[in-house]
Amino acid sequence: MRTKDIVIIGVMAALLIVLQVGLSFLPNIELVSLIVILCTIIYGWKTLYIIYIFVIAEGLIFGFGLWWVNYLYVWTILMLLTMLFRDKQSPFLWAIISGAFGLSFGLLCSIPYLFIGGVPMAVSYFISGIPFDAIHCVSNYIITLVLIKPLYLFLDWLNRKEFV
Amino acid sequence: MKETKYFLKVFLGTLGLFLITVLLLYVFFNRDNKSSVGSKEIVIKVIVPDEEVQEFTLTTDAITLRQALDEENLIRGTGDTGSFFITEVNKHRADDSKQEWWSITKGGEYIEYGVDMINIQDKDQYELTLMEGY
Repeated sequence: MRTKDIVIIGVMAALLIVLQVGLSFLPNIELVSLIVILCTIIYGWKTLYIIYIFVIAEGLIFGFGLWWVNYLYVWTILMLLTMLFRDKQSPFLWAIISGAFGLSFGLLCSIPYLFIGGVPMAVSYFISGIPFDAIHCVSNYIITLVLIKPLYLFLDWLNRKEFV
Repeated sequence: MKETKYFLKVFLGTLGLFLITVLLLYVFFNRDNKSSVGSKEIVIKVIVPDEEVQEFTLTTDAITLRQALDEENLIRGTGDTGSFFITEVNKHRADDSKQEWWSITKGGEYIEYGVDMINIQDKDQYELTLMEGY
């Protein structure tokens, strides 16, 4: 791994943490999904390092609760989904993917509850979070639609640039 | 032609996404969780393993279960409305180190929303059970 890659991974992971903590007072309105999508488009599999540095730091900041188990796989699922469409450039497509991820966030997070209390508990958890998932869906769609192109151009320029 | 096809795909994708969102919200707001005003009497059972079950009969004008329990100072917890998490019931605190947590059931059935989103009706019976293991 090149020094530049190590720096990029560190900076992007720090950016994710700052954005997540900074916007944590807003219910399910976040920029993490957008940054994960962008990192995956530009940096590919290196995004796994970024995601897991972010996840470990989140655990250290907020405590390693059950939500942290969700974080171990939800962002990786978004990254894998993004890898499938990595060559696409339509902001609308990325907005739909990001919105769909936001909408299914509660469903993905209900998986551990299947093992704790079975299907009834997982369904209960999912249904109770529907309004938050709806907010997540709409906000992810709008944020991604508006910001993905300018941020992509900026990050892509940074990625191509050789700093001496 | 290619552009028209692209916009049609984008439009249908967006429409599909928001239709699913609306459908889910419809399910959420039309679930069996009716609210009622006026005085009601509800029964709360506090169940702690290896201890005698404690039963409280509350007479209240509260709309939600959390309001009713708060009136009697029966619960403490963390989080805001919508994500309130019970940590203590009748001065019995769930011990994180033992992976303890409080489960809410209504007549033995799981409830699909948090304590501050459960609308109570007259003659309802709820169980607050101390569970162990995540």
